[in-house]
Formats: sequence, structure tokens, C-alpha cells
Amino acid sequence: MLPDYIQDSIDQWFTKSEEATFYERIELFRDGWNIYQHESYAERYGRVFSYILDRMSVVIHDRELLVGSVNEIIPDEEQRAYAESLVDEYWGNSTEEQKQEWISFYYSTGWYRRRHPDFFTFGHLAYNWDTLVTKGLGWYLNKAQNLLDGGSFRAEPERESFLKGAIISYRGIMNFIDRYADEAEALAKETRNSEEKSRLTEISALCKRIVSGPAKTFREALQLIWFVTLASQKVAGCGVFCFSRMDQYLLPYYEKDLASGEMTREQALVLIEDFYNKNNDIMNPGDHMSQEDDKVRNNLEVTYDDPNYIILGGLLEEGRSGINELSHLFIRAAHEMRLRNPWIVVRYHDGINDSFWKETVAAMRDNATVTIYNDETMIPALLEYEIDPEDVYDYGFYGCNDPLIPAEEGGLRQLWINLPWPVELAMNGGKPFMNVEDVPDGNWTLRDRLIGLMYGPFQGVESNLEEISSMDDFLELYRANLSLLMRQFREGMEADYQVEKRCSAGKIRIEDLFLNGTIEAAENWITGGVKYHKITMQGSGFSTAADSLAAVNKAVFVDGRCTLMELRDALADNFKGHDELHKYLKEIAKYGNDESVADGFANKLGHIFCDVISEMNRERQGLYTYMPAISTDRDFTLQGSRLGATPNGRLAGEPVGENQSPATGADKNGITALLNSASAIPFKRITGGPLNVMLHPSAVDRDEGLNKLASLFRVYMKKGGMQLQLNVVGRDELIKAQKHPERYRSLCVRVTGYAAYFVQMGKVAQDELIHRTVNY
Amino acid sequence: MKPETAITGRIFNLQRFSTKDGPGIRTTVFLKGCNLSCCWCHNPESISARYELNYAQTNCVFCGECESICPEEAINIRDESWLLDESRCTLCGDCVRACRHGALGLWGKEFTPQELIAVLLKDRDYYEDSGGGVTFSGGEPLLQNSFLTACMGLLKETEIHTAIDSALNVQWNIIKKVLPFTDLILIDVKGINPVNHLENTSVKFDLIHENIQRLKEMENSPTIHVRLPLIRGLNDDPEQLPELIELLSNWPALTRIELLPYHNLGAEKSVQLVSDYSQDTYQAPPNKVLQEFETTLENAALPVMKSF
Repeated sequence: MLPDYIQDSIDQWFTKSEEATFYERIELFRDGWNIYQHESYAERYGRVFSYILDRMSVVIHDRELLVGSVNEIIPDEEQRAYAESLVDEYWGNSTEEQKQEWISFYYSTGWYRRRHPDFFTFGHLAYNWDTLVTKGLGWYLNKAQNLLDGGSFRAEPERESFLKGAIISYRGIMNFIDRYADEAEALAKETRNSEEKSRLTEISALCKRIVSGPAKTFREALQLIWFVTLASQKVAGCGVFCFSRMDQYLLPYYEKDLASGEMTREQALVLIEDFYNKNNDIMNPGDHMSQEDDKVRNNLEVTYDDPNYIILGGLLEEGRSGINELSHLFIRAAHEMRLRNPWIVVRYHDGINDSFWKETVAAMRDNATVTIYNDETMIPALLEYEIDPEDVYDYGFYGCNDPLIPAEEGGLRQLWINLPWPVELAMNGGKPFMNVEDVPDGNWTLRDRLIGLMYGPFQGVESNLEEISSMDDFLELYRANLSLLMRQFREGMEADYQVEKRCSAGKIRIEDLFLNGTIEAAENWITGGVKYHKITMQGSGFSTAADSLAAVNKAVFVDGRCTLMELRDALADNFKGHDELHKYLKEIAKYGNDESVADGFANKLGHIFCDVISEMNRERQGLYTYMPAISTDRDFTLQGSRLGATPNGRLAGEPVGENQSPATGADKNGITALLNSASAIPFKRITGGPLNVMLHPSAVDRDEGLNKLASLFRVYMKKGGMQLQLNVVGRDELIKAQKHPERYRSLCVRVTGYAAYFVQMGKVAQDELIHRTVNY
Repeated sequence: MKPETAITGRIFNLQRFSTKDGPGIRTTVFLKGCNLSCCWCHNPESISARYELNYAQTNCVFCGECESICPEEAINIRDESWLLDESRCTLCGDCVRACRHGALGLWGKEFTPQELIAVLLKDRDYYEDSGGGVTFSGGEPLLQNSFLTACMGLLKETEIHTAIDSALNVQWNIIKKVLPFTDLILIDVKGINPVNHLENTSVKFDLIHENIQRLKEMENSPTIHVRLPLIRGLNDDPEQLPELIELLSNWPALTRIELLPYHNLGAEKSVQLVSDYSQDTYQAPPNKVLQEFETTLENAALPVMKSF
């Protein structure tokens, strides 16, 4: 049973105003930024960060075991106007070129507008949590201080300044923890309630111990992680953490505390639940992908509404299973609480412990935010893309389903590459079908790279359809176009990197304090402080591309129903006047139905995509390594908007296929057929991306139903599936939730690469989900 | 065994990841045609042995594609209502193929045993991992007994667990034919009061009763599950319990009794079906009655599955 104080806190979160915000940060930042304007960049960063931490409210709630919360208010009109004026002041009418120099990558407007261009981080990474808890903040501080005192960077003022900025920032966090110790002590003196007095005294002593020292107990470890998270996310805006393998690096603490009698198993569970609640509590309500919603657009928070990730289970380097008692507790807490933050990733491996698997699937069935990934595909895939064997077993994820190696890499860089594009370019001699005036020369714009979205139109390889005489020729032409587009992107990103490198010299971001290699090199992760620099290539519109290749093959090369030129004409005309052909194309078997020809093209497409990426990596031109994922996030509507008609019968401008799903409505043979089809994708070469599965709750109720669901997922993993996330909710229920949001506050759904509370999503997104949900 | 190639079966649905028709993950094959006509039937499309056109109003946008393509001019769309002249419709399927919104479908498809087995085997890994298999349901699967026997025989060669879901309202020699290939029989008992049975299903209970007795007396019987659909006021009178207990007692092969209180998931389908099935407002029995059934059967040491 969840303790009352946690349940109350969750209830309050669900009922709090969407306008509630940590307003102190906005004003404190502005003041600090002015006060320290004459400092070097990194020192100014550290001073401002500490300025806020030194002055923001210290909040301790009744009965909680872990502490660390912010003071939120609902801003009045004047305050809101002030906050908005700062956004204008910071970003004003900045051009893309300026944004590139300031922040280089921003994905969407929502990500940057609350941050200052020079106090910016995009988050999406993992600190070295293991080192943090086992060494403590003092160790980090000393390391930086020793490097500075050692003088090896004396000739490089930017590196010296980087170290000074880091030292100031560490001290800022340490002082922040100290303030909690003092506040708890003061509150302990005030209270007459003896239980509260002893709780507060304990908190005060505990905080004192971790100001500088390593964590000695399970509770201290969680508390230290939480303070660093709170400062990083609420003050510096470093959202979307991966807490990596908590069941591994916290296990020694757990075992020691249990053995010494310091803590019981039940107390450990409560601490985990308290930790989950803290994560949920700092997240803003809303859904960042529903940008049409004013409440979301006008959100004043830097943390936004994205969850943090926890990785459980999986194999250890020596090859045995990492599942332990703590894995069970972490999944149990997720099941009991069913929050959308944190997001739990369970790593499957062959021979996975049955009861843990069943608990995982039970949590998924009950709509907890839990997804599964497969070590048997992920590990070989990551090795293909140059992850070292000694790092690969620690892989994790952050939103949206992007892989990472904890602490060895910086933040998110990604490209949503539209896989149906090369089909269009191949069909039309390298030219797009649609004329879109706002795209200069039909080529890449800087903005496309800054948001990592490729939705065209772009120019491809000049070609002549009359020279294509077999499906192999056509596939080769597809590949040539895909390769050209991705190489153009690389060229752009590498050129952008030179700008970024120049503009980032001497800068620091909060994450540089806790990654591997940055302090040692006295250099931020952007300019080269970390081991891996990768770009996730999110292959989008997968089913549209696979089905289109299958359609070209059947219509032109198997049935001889039309020539490639006739097909091109039909596509160019958006099938107007080609009704018969259109009808015929639509009836060609599609990916998702366990049909070998269509699934065979899904397999071929996957290999082509991976081949091009591996080839680019082998060429080693520039900084980045590329990794393939199959994912659209929610951009499948946007990506379809500039794409002409496709050979699978899709009309011009219609959305492309979502994530790894079959084309909307194309999977007619049920869930096992869908999973069989999906397992045709060569996942041992793919490093991320979601497969959304919808089930009606009645199909898997009771313990019997749970066993069947656990078996279903296990077989998909055994067949080489990579990832799976589940929505067990009926369409009727979603419609009811839309009408009566007050009754469905906690209905959590997995949309694409992230979870959302259904009633907080915008109407457009809600309708879309309802449309795609199983109807019984 | 050389399969008989001439046989085909008429199937109205193939449900993969079927979780309610026997152990484990199963594929349930719904054979078209039934010789009962239960007034509450959930699968009205299963009753007729012929093809039928299915119209889902919730998906229809009244675009008129079907109306304009129909070669027999059998479809009329007037002010958001969709009308079919069944005397004209030849079930050619042109309208189904023309519909872009998933509002039209044809119930019923021919399969040879080999074609069907090929689909069923695609989920073999799931059956094996979960202890599942294949269930033939309907309609009344035993009505297409040559096809059924051929399919079950092929499945047994591959050692896949087989089940049939039947009301047993057929001659014993038909049942006898499939028994060697059957691991489990799910018997749907629609009530045991002879008068009510006839009223509710248009069929007498005698033959069913006789077949149950024969199964009880059999050596090496397949495992038996009995399923009791319960509909308020029609077959939920607790007075029948002593007789029911007598019928089901002393039956070693019977390992499970499921009470199936009426649910209205079929109601929407009934609206979708173009033909006129009368499906009024049936209701589940009150919880109290369900509880009484459950407790009484349990007290009689019968393997009733708890509903809560």
C-alpha cells in the first residue's frame, strides 16, 4: 500500500493548476544574470546557478522521507507579462543562424523559449550516477580543484574558466543540500510532534552527511541523486534524465542496509515510491507535443513535461542476468503508482526470470509506464555502431526511445528521416512531386537540421525510370537516394558542428559536471569532453516505405499491371483519373499482416537503412557516429504533409506510417500477426524506436490473461522483436475520458515515444489516439 | 495422410491471440452456420451458412462510393442512412472493396484445410510457449464436420492442442468422428430446462442431453469445459441448479465450468449486420443470482471458475 502522504501528494499534482510554476527561478535567474555579467562565461554560469540555489525556497513537506521540492505559484498577470517579456528579450526576432550559434539543436520551440540562450541545455542524457553516490560531491569538487591547482591548464584560460565554473556549481549544489539540513533542523526544533521531530532530525543529519561525502545507505543514495536531479532539472533545465540501471548501482546499498537492519524491504519500497513521486511532482502537467494547446505553449517551466527514465533488468557484462531483489521492488512501485514519470524500461534477455517478467507484464497491462527492450537485439545492434564491448551492457534510454551509453555521451542529437522520401525521388527522377515555395531550391534548410526533422521536399539522384528493369534496380535506386539524403544531412551537421564548436568553447552546461571525461579534459561534452558523439537517425514512415516498395514490386515486376512510368504518372496525378490502378495498389498485401512478401520488404528496407548508416560510419567523416532507430514520434502527420502520393495507395499529403506500426487500419489479422510481421525487421541492427500495441482490457484480464500476455511478449522477444509498449484501454473509455476529464485524471497512455496523461493531451492528439485504438 | 483436397470450410472469422476459448494463446476459427438460434446470440453473423454483407455505421461517412459502384443498384444512401435492397444484392463484394472507411465487410470466406492450417501454424511459437493451440468455434463447428475432421487431423499431426466449442446439437456419430483429434471440448449449455431451451434456442435439449451423457460415459474422453451463458429471465432461474448439478457431477473429464453472464458486446455487431436479427435489451443476471450459481456449484464440488 502506498503511504498516505505520497498518495496525497499525487492527488494534489493531478488537481493543481496547469499554470502553477516555479516562478522564483525566473526572477532569480534574471537578477543573477545581470549581477554576474562581467564574469567569464563558465564562471558566470556557475555563479548564476548557485545564486538561484542559494536563494530559492527550501521546501520540506510533512512526513516525506526524501526531501527536495520547489515552491510553485500561479503567476498573476503582471508576473506572467514579465516572464513573457523575458522570452522576447532572450529570443526576440532571432534568426536561425543566431539560434544555431547559441544552442545548435532545439527540436521544437517549446524547448528553448523558457531558457536563456547562454544558460541552455537540452538534457536527454545520463549522469554517472554510480560515481555520484559512491564518491560524493566533495570528490568531484576536489577533482576539479586539484586539476585547477595542478596548473596544467594555465595556458588555456577557457579550460581554467571551465573548471572554475564547475567548482562554483558543485559548491552551489552542496550549499543547497546544506540549506535543507539547516531547514530540517530548524523545523525539528519548532515541532512538538515527536514523530515529526525525529523525522526532521534524521533528515537534517542525513543531508549533512551527503553535502560532501558519498552515500552510505540506500536512502542517502536516493536523496543525493534527488538533490542533484532537482538542481539540474528545475534550476538548469536539464530535462529527460536516464537514471540508468538503478537496480544495479543501488544494489550494494540495499543489501548492506538489509543485512545491518538499517532498513527493511518494505522501507526500501517506500523510499522508491517517494523517489518516483518526487519525479512526478516536478514535472509540469500537460503534453509537450500538443503545441496547439495554449496552456502547453505558454508553459513557463524549463523542465517541461517529460519523464525521466529508469532501466531495470538486462544482462551483466559477464553474461548473467542482472535481475535482483531491487529490480522487483522498482517494478512493483511502478505498478502500484502508475505515474508517467518515471518511465521504466525493462531489459529482456533469454532466460529472464519468470516472476520478474510476469510482474513487468502485469504492470504494463495495468497501464503503468513500463516498456520492454530486448538485450538480444540491442547489444548486437549497439556493437555494430561502434559502442565498445565494455560499455554496451550499460545501455539505457531516454525519451523518445533513443539509446544511450550512460555518462559517456552528451545530449540528444537526432534526425527524423522520412523513409518514403527516397521512394518518391526514385519514382520521379530525383525530383519531388509537390512544389513547395517556402523551401529554397527544394533543399535542406538550417532549420530542418536544428529541429532534426526531414520532411522535404529535397532533391535526389538524377535518374531515368526507363533504365530500371528489375526490382533490384529499383531498390538500388532507392538506396542511392536514401544515401544521398543522409550524406547531405551529415555534411550539414558536420558544418554545423564547426559553428557549434567555435561558439561553445569555454562554455559549460550543468551536465558537464557529472559526465565522464569532461572535468578531466576541462572541456564541455560538445567540443569533445566525452567518449561518444552520436546522432540517432529516426527512420520515419517505415510502413509507408515498406508497403510502397512491395507495391512497386508487385504492380510492375510481378503482375505487370503497369509500367514504372505509368505508376509515376498516377502518383504525379495523385491517382486522379487512375482509379482502377489506385484500387489495385491499395489491395496489395501490406506490412503488419504476417504476409511474407510485404514483411520481406520491411526486412529489406531495414537492411538498406542500416547498410547506409554503417557505410557512413566506416567512412568516418567528422565527429558523429550514426545510429538507426525506427520511430516517428508524433511527427508522422507533418512528415506526410509534403510527400506526394506513394505507391502503396496513400494520397499526397496524408500522414506516413506511425513508428513501427503498420499503415493505419492495414493490420487486419490481429496482434500475433502484427508481432510476427514486426519481427521481420532486422532489429539486431536497429537501436531504438517504439512499437505501440493496443489491447482491450477484457482480452487479458485475470491471472490467466496475464500469463497469456506474458507469453505473447516473451515470444515476440524470442522472435527477435526489439521493443514493445502497450495501451490496455478501450476506445469507449477514451471517449468517456474526453467527456469527463475530471474522472480520468490518472489515465496514462503511451502515445509514441513517451507517455501522457490522456486528459492533459490536446484535443487533436486525443482524437488521433481514439482513432487508432482497438474498438470492441 | 493424404488430405482430401475437395473439402472447403466456410469461416466467418479467424481470431488470433484468442484468450477466452481454452488454455494458453489460441487461434479461434469461427465456422459459419449454426443450428441453434439463441435469441441473445453474440455472433449473429455466425448463424446463416451463407455469406452476408456487414455494415458498420460508426465508420460510415456516407461518401456514396458504395452506392455508385454497386452494379445491381442495391445500395441507397439517403440523409445519413444507408439502405440495402437484399433482394438485389448478389454479395459480389464490389462495395466492400470500394469502401475506404472500413464501414463495409463480407462475412464468410472459403478455406481448404491446407490453407487454414498454413495460417494456424503461423502462431505455433505462441501456442507452444503458452500451452495454447487452436479452437474451432462458430456457429456450430460440427456442422462442417468433414472440413473440421480434416483440419483437426492435420493439426494433430503437428501435435498442436485442439479444442472445439460446440453446443453438441448434432448426431453422436458426427461427434465421434472428431473425438480422436480433440484435446478439449468446450460445451456451451444454453440451459437445461427443456421448455426454456426450446423457447430460447428453437431447439430441443434432448439430443444435447443425450450427447453429454455419452461423453460422460466415454473412456479416454477429451478434457471437458462447460460454459453456461446466463441471461436474466431466460435461463438464470436457480431452481434448475439441482438438475444442472446432477448433469455435471461424476464426470472426471470435466475440469472447468465457466459462468458467462450476458454482455452486450455483440449488440453493436447486430446493428452492423444488414440482415434483421432481433436483439433486444438482454441483461446479465443480477450479481446475487450469479453468486448463487457459483456457490451452489462450488458446494457440489464442481470445478466452477470464480468470476471475481
